[in-house]
Amino acid sequence: MSEESSLPLDGEPAAATPQPATETAASQLQRATQLVQALREELGKALIGQQTVIDDVLCALLAGGHVLIEGVPGLGKTLLVRALARCFGGQFARIQFTPDLMPSDVTGHAVYDLASEQFKLRRGPVFTNLLLADEINRAPAKTQAALLEVMQERQVTLEGNALAVPRPFMVLATQNPIDQEGTYPLPEAELDRFMLKLRMDYPAHAEELELVRQVTRSARSDMLEVTALRPLLRERDVPVLQKICAELPIDAQVLDYAVRLVRATRDWPGLVFGAGPRASIALVRCARARALLRGGEFVTPDDLKACAPAVLRHRVRLAPELEIEGQDVDRVLAQLLDQVAAPRS
Amino acid sequence: MPLSDAAVAVRPRSPWEAVDLGVRLAQRHAGLLLASWALLTVPLLAVFSLLLWRYPSVALLLFWWLKPAFERLPLHILSRALFGATPTLGQALRAWPGLLRGELLASLTWRRFSLSRSFTLPLLQLENLRGQARRQRLDALGRRSGVARWLTLLGIHIELLLWTGLLVLIYLLLPTDFASESSWLALLLRPPEEWLWLEHLSNACYALVLVVWEPIYVACGFSLYLNRRSELEAWDLELAFRRLLERLGQASLVLLLSLGLWLPHGAVLAQETEQTAMPVSLAGSATCLLPSEDNPGPQAPRLTHQPLDSQQARREIQALLAAPPFHRVEERIDWGWSAADEPDAPPLIRTPAWLQGATAVIEVLLWALLVAGLALLAWRYRDWLRLFAVRGQTAREADAAPPAQLFGLAVDPRSLPDDLPASVEQLWAVDPRAALALLYRGLLSHLLHQRRLPLRAAHTEGEVLVLLQGLDDPALDAFARRLLDAWQALAYGSRPPPAELGPELCDAWRQLGLNSRAQAGVAP
Repeated sequence: MSEESSLPLDGEPAAATPQPATETAASQLQRATQLVQALREELGKALIGQQTVIDDVLCALLAGGHVLIEGVPGLGKTLLVRALARCFGGQFARIQFTPDLMPSDVTGHAVYDLASEQFKLRRGPVFTNLLLADEINRAPAKTQAALLEVMQERQVTLEGNALAVPRPFMVLATQNPIDQEGTYPLPEAELDRFMLKLRMDYPAHAEELELVRQVTRSARSDMLEVTALRPLLRERDVPVLQKICAELPIDAQVLDYAVRLVRATRDWPGLVFGAGPRASIALVRCARARALLRGGEFVTPDDLKACAPAVLRHRVRLAPELEIEGQDVDRVLAQLLDQVAAPRS
Repeated sequence: MPLSDAAVAVRPRSPWEAVDLGVRLAQRHAGLLLASWALLTVPLLAVFSLLLWRYPSVALLLFWWLKPAFERLPLHILSRALFGATPTLGQALRAWPGLLRGELLASLTWRRFSLSRSFTLPLLQLENLRGQARRQRLDALGRRSGVARWLTLLGIHIELLLWTGLLVLIYLLLPTDFASESSWLALLLRPPEEWLWLEHLSNACYALVLVVWEPIYVACGFSLYLNRRSELEAWDLELAFRRLLERLGQASLVLLLSLGLWLPHGAVLAQETEQTAMPVSLAGSATCLLPSEDNPGPQAPRLTHQPLDSQQARREIQALLAAPPFHRVEERIDWGWSAADEPDAPPLIRTPAWLQGATAVIEVLLWALLVAGLALLAWRYRDWLRLFAVRGQTAREADAAPPAQLFGLAVDPRSLPDDLPASVEQLWAVDPRAALALLYRGLLSHLLHQRRLPLRAAHTEGEVLVLLQGLDDPALDAFARRLLDAWQALAYGSRPPPAELGPELCDAWRQLGLNSRAQAGVAP
């Protein structure tokens, strides 16, 4: 890692900030790629055996989207977010969603100050860079809806005043896949605001072996240390990276492929309803981020296809017939991806 | 032994009531019945057990098989006791060997499993009927022997219940330390010879159960028999007349007979069996009145010197009986199967021709409706059908001929130039994009037709490379990677390929000997 970090990142943080006058776009892109790669490796140290999830979370960060992570307890969902916050150097807040959580606990509220005899705004935990909404489906819909505005508009309206949250702002929500007592499924409007829904699976044997070895060596009881990770990225680097990412060229055919994929979900047999235009937008943004992560200078259909399941799986609904048959969304989406023609010229 | 001394009030009863009477009968003579049965069977079982000590099950089977022979003893006692001539224990036991004579073999072989055994035994033993006569008599009596069968089934269950109950009782009375599981297990795990006594114990229990149950069973069968006879032969009336006779003396005998015995009621029913109507044991006694041979019978003309002789009277009676209110004609209409049984019978209602035509049309319409419905259903779910049919076909697709048109490119070998590298080199200078596209097409065509790679329209360049790795051909893999990288950069990134790439790729193509037109189907 040291040779990586001796590149423009840690030693001279300013290097990451673009200086358009002096630097060409190509070298800027190269640096951005190196930075992202370094971040990826650093996160890989904390979260062992979940490289695809790390990639996807980084994609969402670069594309400016929010992530919903689904997985059984104990796979390191929270650890991932803590590690990201640590590497990123920004503010980090965590809300544990409980059935009695109120919207004002999330966004903030006005309190009467006895000393000044005035109402004071007390900002909630959403005013941060990285928000971890842990077990988001444990709170009722009322509280879940408190996130709607901030996720889309990146502002919170308190006492009639629209307050912007700091940039970058990213919500990482986790939920357990098992239908348990006392959970409230997320409404479609809320789901649609998440750019990606990731499924965290158990690590492979070798990786789990390594994980157990590292955790048991640690002084902390049962979790990996994130303090060892170095902050590679500063708060203000992220918008720059996002800008570089958004400027990555995408060919008209690839764009068309993205739209065709999303449109195919709308009349695909086996899906009750398909994804909306927000899905096409998210797909293209995510493909750009993935191209950057890959180190590519342009977006290929492969980038698009790789992130399509994560973008689409929470935006479509499986037909009840298939649900009864025991099929899941991922399988139907794989069929869809297998039948929509890839672009050629 | 006067018949009028009958210990039971003989009257027509329902069969189950008769069974009840049998139980009471057995109860009254319980001591004698139980003792005689026990004295007869228990020693016999003991003998069997001693002879077949190593085969307790065989001993039990033998004992069980001989039950009909034992049952003759209680029946003997009961038939005597019915009219007050109860034998002593010694008399009964001494009479038993003599009782065994009548058709013992049949009782122990083919009639062993007859369920109405208890009901037919009196026929054999008391009426002493054989062969044809017995069958006729059974026809007359046995039409309602259903209860007798139920009685036997009931008896099987009662025997089993009492038997298990007795065994459980013995088990419960065992001292606790002996009854603990381990000792029982230890016992059962020993060689079978060591717990033979256990089986013999259970056999003994069965014998004890029979001591209680069998006399009741025989008595119930006997009372069913008596009941059936009093139904058929008006025994109750006969006994009433006998009592009258005894009270009024011999003088009134003729009067009584003319009044009572020839009433059509009993005679008609018992006509065919009158000759042997009484139990043999009773038939010899002086008071048992059997119809005499010279008796003219009810059909003989009588009262011939009267204004109204018997023949005329009979005719008038018949005419009267044939008219209402004695004779009533009732019409009922029921559903039934008629067509199959009487194929020649004319239909009740002749269907008019136009109606037949209409039914044919309606039938066609209904079938058409069904077909249309199915077609509509298939159309409604065509997407589903296509999806699942396609899924099933994927295995076969690999064997199918590769498509000519793929990814919007013509990949049919015939659409490619004969000398592909030469064409590419020519094109490279003027139109690198077309040259690269031609190479790409050539590669895809080669993979599809020569290597039989299952490529589909949905495969991206990256997936083509992944599939190529499966072919395990590093040279081809490297070539394809260079080509596709250049192609992706050109197509999606608008980055022109370096000028020297074209000739290099053509050289690699020639070195690999790729030729999508080769018909031999063998690739390097």
